[in-house]
Amino acid sequence: MQVALKIWRYDSATGDRALKEYEIEAPDEATLLDCLDIVKDRHDGSLAYRKSCRMMICGSCGMRMDGAAVLACKMRMYDIAQDGRVPVISAMGNLPIVKDLVVDMDPFWSKFKAVGPWLQPGYERPEDGREYRIPQERANVIHKESLCINCGCCVSECNAMESDPEFLGPQALAKGMRFVGDPRDGAIVERLESYSGEHGIWECTRCFFCNERCPKGVDPRDAIAKLGAEAMAHGIDRDMGAKHAKWFIRSTETTGWLRETELVPKTQGIVSSLKQTKFAINLAKHNKAGLAFPPHVAAHVEEARNLRKITQEQDRGGALGHVQGERALARLAHGDAGESLEEIYARPGAAPRPFLPGEGSAQGQGSLTQADVTPGKEPTRKRGEA
Amino acid sequence: MRAAIEAFDAGADVAMISKLHPTRSHSGAAEGGINAALGNAAEDNPEIHAYDTVKGSDYLGDQDAIEIFAEEAPGDIIQLENWGAVFSRREDGKLAQRPFGAAGSPRTVYSADITGHVLIQVLWEQCCKRDIPVYEEFFAWQLVENDGRCQGVVCWDLLHGGLKTVGGKTVVLATGGAGRQYRVTTNAYACTGDGMAMALHAGLPLKDMEFMQFHPTTLYPTGILLTEGIRGEGGYLINKDGERFMKRYAPNALELASRDVVSRSEQTEIDEGRGIDGSVLLDMRHLGAERIIERLPGSRELAMTYAGIDPIYEPVPVRPGAHYHMGGIETDNDGATELTGLYAAGECACVSIHGANRLGGNSLMETITFGRRAGRSAAEWALANTTVEVPEAVERDAESKLRDLLDRQDGERPWKLREELGNSMLENFAVFRTEDGMTKQVEILEGLRERYPNVYVEDKGDVFNSDLTQAIELGNMLDTALCMVTAGVVRKESRGAHARPHDYPTRDDENFLHHSITRWKDGGIELTTSEVRFTHWEPQERKY
Repeated sequence: MQVALKIWRYDSATGDRALKEYEIEAPDEATLLDCLDIVKDRHDGSLAYRKSCRMMICGSCGMRMDGAAVLACKMRMYDIAQDGRVPVISAMGNLPIVKDLVVDMDPFWSKFKAVGPWLQPGYERPEDGREYRIPQERANVIHKESLCINCGCCVSECNAMESDPEFLGPQALAKGMRFVGDPRDGAIVERLESYSGEHGIWECTRCFFCNERCPKGVDPRDAIAKLGAEAMAHGIDRDMGAKHAKWFIRSTETTGWLRETELVPKTQGIVSSLKQTKFAINLAKHNKAGLAFPPHVAAHVEEARNLRKITQEQDRGGALGHVQGERALARLAHGDAGESLEEIYARPGAAPRPFLPGEGSAQGQGSLTQADVTPGKEPTRKRGEA
Repeated sequence: MRAAIEAFDAGADVAMISKLHPTRSHSGAAEGGINAALGNAAEDNPEIHAYDTVKGSDYLGDQDAIEIFAEEAPGDIIQLENWGAVFSRREDGKLAQRPFGAAGSPRTVYSADITGHVLIQVLWEQCCKRDIPVYEEFFAWQLVENDGRCQGVVCWDLLHGGLKTVGGKTVVLATGGAGRQYRVTTNAYACTGDGMAMALHAGLPLKDMEFMQFHPTTLYPTGILLTEGIRGEGGYLINKDGERFMKRYAPNALELASRDVVSRSEQTEIDEGRGIDGSVLLDMRHLGAERIIERLPGSRELAMTYAGIDPIYEPVPVRPGAHYHMGGIETDNDGATELTGLYAAGECACVSIHGANRLGGNSLMETITFGRRAGRSAAEWALANTTVEVPEAVERDAESKLRDLLDRQDGERPWKLREELGNSMLENFAVFRTEDGMTKQVEILEGLRERYPNVYVEDKGDVFNSDLTQAIELGNMLDTALCMVTAGVVRKESRGAHARPHDYPTRDDENFLHHSITRWKDGGIELTTSEVRFTHWEPQERKY
């Protein structure tokens, strides 16, 4: 197939930037990474980008295509080429560009390290020489977070980081959740304290770009929400962000609507809110701030209260409750799950039904437990023995 | 990373050098699991693990090393778990274990099908905890040899440009394999045999280089790995008629015979016209959506992304692809090489525990157990001995070689040679080998090596010049490939991954129960042999 690409080239020595177009011939199954390889080999050897595994696991080839972060090795180009689109390829955002599509990952890794990304064993240790006993269900809490390949796509897209470059950011916080949710970790409270501070979890603007663009389904925003819930469950709620969130609940629970007038003092505290008096008066003038006392109660307040009740019953106070039951990679839709094996085998154009030699193809698919055949159990003859 | 952690804990001053960020290493792409005889899923013990490994190696593995390996593996796994590795669990909360090829018991500890990834993460976490410095994106190029010992590495600083020499009392090579010598490979672009080539150029012996493992289930057409765990979970291999052909080749173990056996069976099916488009089918339909999603989500994602196939509904086309070098830099059981101060561990090394064929799940374990041992012994030597001295001439010579490469104003682009290498290795030195094919391949490699001094690096800049490093990598692949094929020609037997069905179809213990040793001498390859170390197990016929 014919593929055309526009690539933002950047020369760090001169600071020159240029958008260059390349037209190449690529095999139909080519990914964006394959196309970059063709450009580099046959058209311009000076093109710089990172790559290694080409199977979505090493996290090297994060970059932007048409302004959205992607893993180049995951991006199949066939449809794009068929549509005649000419995508623009550029380096990831929120990180300094080194050359062409290569960014400086140092800021990324220093935030990674800032969350103390290693297990801090707690008081409960397994008996010597044994593993911790953790049911799979409990381990599932950090399933998504442990899929992270540190590619930086979420950081590239993070809107909060754009306004506060010191924000820990979605990747580091997801890594933090990986430990907070781990029953083996003994520093959960200290972690939550630290992640709840300035540039921490409450800085997130909930734009969900990180969830959207993560190529592995880590859902960093969900991780941040879980950290928030865990922090509050542990009574760590001094941050304005936490108070803000708490007021949302209190307000909707009592009157069924968000009382924004009270939101400011509840979040910032009385003293700090006084500074906003002028702003509040302005709002009142324009009929934007209700000052009625007692406040109006919404007609269907019960609905808001029921909603709250449901979330409480589901025990969504902590991280456990925030696992939505989806298993990141497994989220890939797989059509109608109701089909039986017989129906799958009978699908039009289906590959033949498996059979063992000697059996008719209509019967016998062998046994699921055949895997347990144990060649090693035959007697092991020792050297020197007859 | 395991070696660095161990050396750090032993009190040594350690730094890591890597051409990629450490978490980008290809161990992270390992999927199915890591073998240790914990006995969580069924009765098991290190002796059975050792025996399976010896048998799997087609009796070419060094049995003393294998016994150490099997014995120490369970402790290493527990340590990884205690460090925080996110493994899959049984209902009782213990580590889950799944069946793997040619294993006498379900012995493979796993994390769904991303085991390598979680191990890379936990090792990196432990490196962060110790604050071990990393020379990241430093391309190691030449060993510093002085006073009869290894005293450092000359590197190209990829990010900033320029040669940087890192001195050290000891150096541990953990540079992985060279699967990129083949067009169809599971290996990452980074797997170009740099460490093996560095050792070779320093005059050190490479051992058993002819043994290249072909993994039976690599996705058509890209060669991306689909884990053996799929078959461990009960997946079938079928030909175009739907027949589970493995029954005819390995009547007991079927799909879970050892990798060399399965790859040969598949290749025979394909060669005899029972394949589809040069591949066979890996069928998981009967496992059901739930099991596939729970245990094999990564494999499903790979099949969907790269072949457009959802394995819940359709079998996946697979074929054998170059996967793993059983051979490598010869080391003793503590990772020490012939050169004082130089150690090696992992795929670049050959202890040898894999012999002529490696068992699935043993390579991750090897990186941990022998990485630890190499790190320990390297640290002990460094702490007991004194100075580091890097003669100026070393860097000067390297600089002039590099300038020669960079200043060349025209010539052949490396990709042409790389493509010819990849195609010809696949044609002449893959699952089945013939005298003619191998002889021809030696000629092809010599031709490529003659053309190599004329390759042209287009990028003349300093910053992130991957055009330069890729050219160096090509040279490394050519030199190590020549060792492989040269050793292959003289091994006139079929053993493990070295199969010559047309001229020498059987194993010949009388003449070839020995390691082959290749080393660089006077501009050519010198071939010798060394003895296999036996402890308990006498060679027997190998059946699955």
